[in-house]
Amino acid sequence: MASFDSVNYSIRPSKSVQRGIVFDGLRALCASMNLHDTVYIGFGSIWFTDFLMAHKVLGIDEMISIEASPVGYKRAEFNKVYRSISVLEGRSDERLPEIAAQVEYQARPWIVWLDYDGALDEQKVEEMRWLLLNAPPNSIVLFTFSATQNAYGARPAQRPGRVSDILGAVVPDDLTREDCSKENLPQTLATLTMDFLSSVVADNARPGGFIRSFQIPYFDSVGMVTVGGVLPGLGAAPAARAIVAEQSWKGIVDEMIEAPPMTLKEVATLQAELPFAGELTRDRVQELGFDLLEHQIRSFQRYYKYLPSFAEIVA
Amino acid sequence: MIPVEKSKARANPTKAFFVRMITRDITLEDCIFDLIDNSVDGAWERAGGRPMSLNNDTDLSAYKISIEIDQNRFLIKDNCGGISLDDAVNYAFTFGRRDDADTENFSIGVYGIGMKRAVFKLGSSIDITSTYVGDDGLSSFKVPVNVSDWLEAGNSSWDFDIDEADDLDEPGVCIEVQDLSEATAQSFASPRFVQDLRRAIARDYALHLHRGLVIDVQGKPIKGWSIEMRQGGDFSPMRESFKEKIDGEDVFIELLAGMEALPPDDSDPEGDWDENQNQSGWYVVCNGRIVLAADKTSLTGWGTDNWPQWHPQYSGFMGIIIFSSRRADLLPLTTTKRSVDATSPLYRRYRSHMREPSKTWIAYTNARKQSEREQVAEKESKTKAVPIFEVSARSEVVLPQVSAKKRTPEANVSYSVPKPKLLRLATALGNIRMTYKDVGLKSFEYAYDDLVGEE
Ligand SMILES: C[S@@+](CC[C@H](N)C(=O)[O-])C[C@H]1O[C@@H](n2cnc3c(N)ncnc32)[C@H](O)[C@@H]1O
Repeated sequence: MASFDSVNYSIRPSKSVQRGIVFDGLRALCASMNLHDTVYIGFGSIWFTDFLMAHKVLGIDEMISIEASPVGYKRAEFNKVYRSISVLEGRSDERLPEIAAQVEYQARPWIVWLDYDGALDEQKVEEMRWLLLNAPPNSIVLFTFSATQNAYGARPAQRPGRVSDILGAVVPDDLTREDCSKENLPQTLATLTMDFLSSVVADNARPGGFIRSFQIPYFDSVGMVTVGGVLPGLGAAPAARAIVAEQSWKGIVDEMIEAPPMTLKEVATLQAELPFAGELTRDRVQELGFDLLEHQIRSFQRYYKYLPSFAEIVA
Repeated sequence: MIPVEKSKARANPTKAFFVRMITRDITLEDCIFDLIDNSVDGAWERAGGRPMSLNNDTDLSAYKISIEIDQNRFLIKDNCGGISLDDAVNYAFTFGRRDDADTENFSIGVYGIGMKRAVFKLGSSIDITSTYVGDDGLSSFKVPVNVSDWLEAGNSSWDFDIDEADDLDEPGVCIEVQDLSEATAQSFASPRFVQDLRRAIARDYALHLHRGLVIDVQGKPIKGWSIEMRQGGDFSPMRESFKEKIDGEDVFIELLAGMEALPPDDSDPEGDWDENQNQSGWYVVCNGRIVLAADKTSLTGWGTDNWPQWHPQYSGFMGIIIFSSRRADLLPLTTTKRSVDATSPLYRRYRSHMREPSKTWIAYTNARKQSEREQVAEKESKTKAVPIFEVSARSEVVLPQVSAKKRTPEANVSYSVPKPKLLRLATALGNIRMTYKDVGLKSFEYAYDDLVGEE
């Protein structure tokens, strides 16, 4: 594995857990909906981590990365990991409609993951609306944005109002400051953004509807949110609904993922305890000779399989 | 010669036509409101059934209406007394009100169409269960309606079967609709629809919720809108009561009007003016239910008879006219209960009463525009919001005299900038939700201090 990925991974464990959940889910969806000839569209930046996974895990060949930064674009062209990736320069709100206008992309499912820089704002919400109403049948859309509380108002009293400015009528009138605190804002934004996505699709009577599939609040040095779902064609809708309704579906996460940065020694020690049917306790961790917070232990136990293999970093 | 068997043109409606017609011009939300109205009528009747004036202190806290909505099912359940078997046999399922029907006391339902129209609009597999206190204790029945079977059964029989049923927890009605229509299922899949429904219930049943009625949607009770007017200093709202006799029956009218919120400092329609959020305008209430809210159209007089059209400059004004009568059919309701019947003589008569407070307010906002900002702000700051129930009787709105200002010539600055940049500047100035106007003023002051300095 390339060194930048290891470095990238090792300092951002929650991010890689999130990616793992998303691609596991996408794989199950692609299989059940029997998707073929899918196009992957995203912001590969210069790392293309998600593109690597789209190719390896989902077997997608044709991929499009959009990059707004001119320097980033040059570096992306230089760094792209497969020849079947095309890098487009410009903002996604300009490039996506152009992609949609090309006949070759119109009848194929898209998997679009807009892994944004920065907080949710009016512009991103507008782009979400556009994509929900214009992606071809059987597309899957995902959005990632930051949920740091200060980006939604410098003072706590401003935040509920700001959230409702951005997301509109789906935001309950009694949204509180508490809902928008550092700890709660990622989950609040995740739920309300999902509500927004479902509403756009339902209010515009898009055939097939929207299947809420990914709702992942995670902590990656700042609070982050990934949300998304399926825009099934009428034929594939029941199969996709069934997959997401299964007990084993992991895409809807009810507790913020906060995989702690850990040393190799700690990871190896804890991992040796797993899998374990019961709940790994803090007492046990202390017995093993170190310490972690309860929710960190829960995150680790639930998601250790998605953590990168740390051994490779030292290799 | 016309043969005997051809001497009549057939004019019976078909069921299918009838269902199409009655469900056509009503929104899903108003259908749900029709069902809530039936429950509310039950509660009001049981609680004593008197005219719902603002002073009436009927306690509704024993009554609860629960609504559950999802993509596959609609459910409304109340403990408001239920429908008796006799009423079900004779009246409750009849299309339209029968001439021999008792008039319910101070009810909102009037046309005898609400429940049928609502369930037909929602879906095609319907179960209506009622538990009531009969002569020998609790009795129950249910009316299952399978719309396609009913349509197929032909046009000769319009009746529905009544079956045995288990008792509900308390006397009341439970209506469950499945096989939702496509449009209904789509709306129910929209969290926006559900939020907006909550908002509309909070507003339109505010007077019932204020009296303790519980309405919950998806298990969460709705907090009623507390309707308030501002008074204090030189400001007093008006409140007046009237009584009319129509067909030998009393109709009670109450009129309130005044300042609901501080008026905007400027009325630039291109600013961050949000028409939807604005509560200003006229409200019409019939037997306790708000049927027209925040109206700014000719229905409540704006733009008619020399009365100017609504303008954002007038926001801050609120007027409420409340009609109540034992006989709901005397009130200016439309069948959808989402508007007033502007042809009603009663309503037209009272529209002239509504005109006066509107005019007083218009004059105030005109004078205010020409006056010293600080002087107005000082006066307006003395007001505080009070619930409308506490407003005292007075036949006119009282508003302060404001004097025109000594004028320094003013320059109006207006320019457009990209919105993301404006939001970033607002954030840097300390408040991402600052009005555009304030961002402009603050930037001007900032530049002025920096480049010009002391005056
Ligand atoms: C968070 S990074 C993507 C990370 C990548 N998906 C991964 O998992 O490693 C976002 C990238 O997209 C670019 N970007 C952000 N918003 C964009 C937009 N609206 N249009 C085009 N490019 C955008 C940024 O310049 C940046 O390189």
